Amino acid sequence: MEQQIVLSVRDLAVSYVTARGGMRAVNGVSFDLHRGETLALIGESGCGKSTLTLGLIGLLPRGGRVESGHVMYTDRAGTTTDALTLKGEALRRFRWAECSMVFQAALNSLNPVIRVRDMMLDTARAHGETNTAQVTKRALELFRMVRLDPERVFNAYPHQLSGGMRQRVLIALSVLLNPQVVLLDEPTTALDILTQRTIIDVLKTLRAELGISMIFISHDLSIAAEMADSVATMYAGDIVEIGRTDDMFYRPAHAYTLGLLNAVPRLSIEREHLDSIPGSPPDMISPPTGCRFHPRCAFATAICATPPPVMTFEIDHIAACHHAHQVIHAAQGLRNAHSVD
Amino acid sequence: MPTPLIELRGVHRTFKKDNQRIRVLQDIDLSVYADEILCLVGESGCGKTTTGKIIAGLLDPSSGAVLYENTPITALRRDEQAAYRRAVQIVHQDPFASLNPSHTVGQILSFPLVRHRMYKTRAEIRRRVWELLTLVDLTPPGDVVNKFPHQLSGGQRQRVSIARALTVNPRLIVADEAVSMVDVSIRISLLKTLQRLRETLGLTIVFITHDLALAKYFAWEGRIAVMYLGRVIEIGRTESIIHHPAHPYTRALIAAIPEADPSRTRSKERMMLRSEDIPTLTAIPPGCAFHPRCPYFVPTVCDRHVPVLSSVPEYEQHAACIPLAQGDRLIPYTADSR
Repeated sequence: MEQQIVLSVRDLAVSYVTARGGMRAVNGVSFDLHRGETLALIGESGCGKSTLTLGLIGLLPRGGRVESGHVMYTDRAGTTTDALTLKGEALRRFRWAECSMVFQAALNSLNPVIRVRDMMLDTARAHGETNTAQVTKRALELFRMVRLDPERVFNAYPHQLSGGMRQRVLIALSVLLNPQVVLLDEPTTALDILTQRTIIDVLKTLRAELGISMIFISHDLSIAAEMADSVATMYAGDIVEIGRTDDMFYRPAHAYTLGLLNAVPRLSIEREHLDSIPGSPPDMISPPTGCRFHPRCAFATAICATPPPVMTFEIDHIAACHHAHQVIHAAQGLRNAHSVD
Repeated sequence: MPTPLIELRGVHRTFKKDNQRIRVLQDIDLSVYADEILCLVGESGCGKTTTGKIIAGLLDPSSGAVLYENTPITALRRDEQAAYRRAVQIVHQDPFASLNPSHTVGQILSFPLVRHRMYKTRAEIRRRVWELLTLVDLTPPGDVVNKFPHQLSGGQRQRVSIARALTVNPRLIVADEAVSMVDVSIRISLLKTLQRLRETLGLTIVFITHDLALAKYFAWEGRIAVMYLGRVIEIGRTESIIHHPAHPYTRALIAAIPEADPSRTRSKERMMLRSEDIPTLTAIPPGCAFHPRCPYFVPTVCDRHVPVLSSVPEYEQHAACIPLAQGDRLIPYTADSR
């Protein structure tokens, strides 16, 4: 991609202190996020998706610590800084004004005792924007963009809004200060189908109108298929495969990505040969050696207990798997089987 | 048509909340036939769980009747009543809440066997518990029988829930969002287990889900009933509902669902609703409850008359939509079409 890179993550490692000892939740991951790009992080629960995003903006819960790595952020002026070195006021400014986040569970992210308007104005004020009229104008404009009735919602308390409306308020709030990057943690989980559709469409509109880059976490592959430009598969703290959405869905090279794809039904395919991934994710305190997926992997051989090679396929398509070629072959076979049906 | 195993006739159900009567189910006529898979599909608040609980006898209808093999359950003799209770079991959504955390898997599975006096000796009960665990693929049983629920993964817990439902040799299992709390990667294996049990034990399954793709996968040989705000608005064979949805609401759902296939999902035909607002159960719109959002709204018809499920010309399934039932083509509503 020729677009400029806004976020370049290198060897980011995050660990938690637990009662049983230290645990590497994110195990040295690297990726680039380009201007205007949407990246989806997929993987089972506990794979480190949320920890990774929280690590990017220094919001790890107590006991969590960035062990090493760099998060190189390039602002609109072209200045690059390592977000991990930011402290105090600089970090506070970075959050929300440059990189904001929409948290999971919209019900809990809004203060129940203040009106939406005050939440918007407070957020702007905290970042030095005191011109109430201007902030209000911007907020109303954003509400229209996310398909909310601007006047009604602006003066409402959170409990007066439905779950889908609250989620849209949070999305509007996340772009209030015109950040370059928005992180979204399961933005449509627990929403009804039609509400989910509205959120997807709203996010697409915002992306097109504001030119923001997004990283979103989803356990739902269908949303990644629809929204993302690129997809990264995470397993047990590693990004095991990353690539453009079409390559990831049609030419997966890691057995785990293939396993995930093969586990979700598609509405428009009549009879599918689906299968779950056997077993469950490893204990992160003592993960398996080599490829961490190998105890569950149908392709695994003895060599998989050694660290997998990192292989590059199409442009920007990288997978860490000893048997990538066999996986690609198997994926092709499945795809043919489905298109015959 | 064979006699249904369970039939709901004109079932209404209201709940009281803050001195308000909330109509959760209105006029439900629904038959569940032996050996079939019936999916209840709909968004939250549509009444699918309430319907499942009424089928399972865990809730009584406010009015209307529930029939077990053609006899109203209120008219069953004491022993027949007990037989009905055993015949219909439920698997709940949340395996973290539905298993007693202070009992081992072995205890959870033996209690119903003891309570219903199904076996005489401890050895027989123990053998049956092992057999049940094997049935739900929790093998070897010795590894799980002495464990507590918190020592099991979500998927394993849900298997214990299924085994518990099987203890009393039921004929029908109501699976209420039984896989929605487990990771995507292991849902299919749970569904395969259910499917295999259905075939080997001759079970009937009422499968409640909000996920149409999952319903399609699980109930391809069965039927789907789509619910909206307390009513069944469309019912028919899975294939006809998925490929040729009739009711505008079902069409909207199918158009709205993203698919795990980039080119398919991006080229899908969209359907714009007239309103994004979801009506609440305390203020259900008059006439067809979907009319304020329906793109094919016909003024003075849809907002005045409650549609009933009926056959639709050119469709195999039944739908509750007045313009469709009259054989009219659905025409997008515009403000100037009166």
